[in-house]
Amino acid sequence: MTPATDTSGTAGTPILSLEGIGKTYGAVRALSGVSFDVRAGETLAICGDNGAGKSTLIRIVSGAQTPSEGTIRLAGAPVTFASPADALSQGVATIYQDLALAPTMTIAQNVFLGSELTTRVMGVPLLAKRRMRREAAEHLSRLRLAVPDMNRHVSDLSGGQRQAVAIARALRWQARIVIMDEPTAALGVRETRLVLNLIKEIASQGITVILISHNMADVIEVAERAVILKGGRKVRDTALAGWTADDLSHVIMGHEAA
Amino acid sequence: MTESTAAAHSDAPPAPGVRLKTAVARYGTAVGGILVFAVFALAADNFLTVGNQFTILRQVSFLVVFSLGFTFALTAAELDLSFAAVASLAGVVCGGLVHHDYPWPLGALAALAIGGAFGLANGLFVTRAKIPSLIATLATASIATGCAFAITEGVAWVGRWDRSFLWLGRGEMGGVPVLVVWMALAALIAVFVMRQTRFGVWLTATGQADEAARLAGIPIRAMKVWGLTLSGLCAGLGAVLLTASLSSAGPTSASDFLMKGIAAVLLGMTMFEPGRANVPGTVVGALVIGVLANGLVLVGAAYYVQDIVLGLIILLSVALSASVLTKAAFTV
Ligand SMILES: Nc1ncnc2c1ncn2[C@@H]1O[C@H](COP(=O)(O)OP(=O)(O)O)[C@@H](O)[C@H]1O
Ligand SMILES: [Mg+2]
Repeated sequence: MTPATDTSGTAGTPILSLEGIGKTYGAVRALSGVSFDVRAGETLAICGDNGAGKSTLIRIVSGAQTPSEGTIRLAGAPVTFASPADALSQGVATIYQDLALAPTMTIAQNVFLGSELTTRVMGVPLLAKRRMRREAAEHLSRLRLAVPDMNRHVSDLSGGQRQAVAIARALRWQARIVIMDEPTAALGVRETRLVLNLIKEIASQGITVILISHNMADVIEVAERAVILKGGRKVRDTALAGWTADDLSHVIMGHEAA
Repeated sequence: MTESTAAAHSDAPPAPGVRLKTAVARYGTAVGGILVFAVFALAADNFLTVGNQFTILRQVSFLVVFSLGFTFALTAAELDLSFAAVASLAGVVCGGLVHHDYPWPLGALAALAIGGAFGLANGLFVTRAKIPSLIATLATASIATGCAFAITEGVAWVGRWDRSFLWLGRGEMGGVPVLVVWMALAALIAVFVMRQTRFGVWLTATGQADEAARLAGIPIRAMKVWGLTLSGLCAGLGAVLLTASLSSAGPTSASDFLMKGIAAVLLGMTMFEPGRANVPGTVVGALVIGVLANGLVLVGAAYYVQDIVLGLIILLSVALSASVLTKAAFTV
């Protein structure tokens, strides 16, 4: 019933490769032997039922956790991420659902959080506030989204606009890979639309997107390929051209496990 | 910004009602403070005299220095309940050294070192031993008080001390008490650090959203240690000024400033940046507390009225600013 177009061999060096990634939490095995490649510029979905290991995998790729076994390669070179900030500085940005923004701080402060621009005045590094506001506005305009005032608090923004601020933060780091874990889970229809447009926008600018989502329609709309996890293992790695949301749910529910 | 897409709905400027509410939230307390000032000006004959205004400013200057320290700690979402006891201890050591004819800079340095050391210890207890700051600083306050009594054997150092030392607390510069100059300098430096430096943003982010700050690579434990250490340093600095001004130092010389300092900072959290400890708010808060304390005496209110008023101010301020942070910081 589903188009069976499993993609193994791919041309060129993948921007990101996972090789035999495993993770155990004490006696719990959350992931075992997960391997796949991500090509530069593609939008890849990671799908699977609750407890399949999606978040664990993303925590490993984003630098929030270290794998128990396996290797991560960035553009062919093995890497280890000491922290999310370390991964970010190597071009891998993760958009977390809510924890990564400071709601009571301004948009500009959030875009530059932890890496504020400074200018030296008589040898003293002072915040380059105007430059940060200008650059934050530039990053947001790349997302074709109007956020009027860089001095507004993030708590004043809608859920979709907050995702945009988080993405602008990734752009500020010239991220090559943007990872989003359930970006639309907490959003209404209108805001979901906005976030899907944001994903397409950054994908069209050549940024690689890794999307975790429960919503099959969202996945089908924005992703070109899906890696399907089940019980911590990869059970399918397939291009999505010609797939419907129903096809995808059937595979995930295990009616047609690989 | 350029053309808008889906988010255009949020472009509209806030309605006049919203703007009024924001203005009231930001400046309401400051206006209230001016009203309090006006009431005392009318009710007490000698309130408005230049002499009395300088008296208020002198009192407020210690309060501002101590409160700035509490502001730094609270900005990182930690409480420092030890600053007054640490200041008394620092004052006793400073006063003791001056009293025994050591050079006064040694005494001043010793006070700063004691303040800084207690602040650092508080920071390490909180971040390493994971003791909530409410408990950790209550404990170090007790230790500091005990040490102060041990050093003086319960009495106070009183003396006719080196004049250049006393000048720090009693001198004038162009007709202005030096204490006011120190206070203004301390407040300006604090505003500068909080507004213009990366340190200030990191300290704020640590207190406002520690998880986001951590994910952004901000060393949140170090920032909390810094916040508490700065509080200790301010306690040491305030102790030097207080000792020089009083020309004496006793084991409870600064204890009055605990409630006043907390009240000043919490009152300040209802102003300028509501819900957040902020330097201008702290300065105005301290001024309001100073005016209240002075005015209540001048209108002949009984000594206990001030304590009740301070308690009410603390309750009202926290209820008003109703910020997640305030309540979080007070959660054990
Ligand atoms: N911190 C943890 N400690 C112990 N077990 C965990 C932890 N995180 C995840 N797990 C377990 O690992 C498995 C995969 O979880 P997760 O990656 O959250 O799945 P998903 O995001 O696909 O729902 C589950 O069995 C879960 O209970
Ligand atoms: Mg999950």
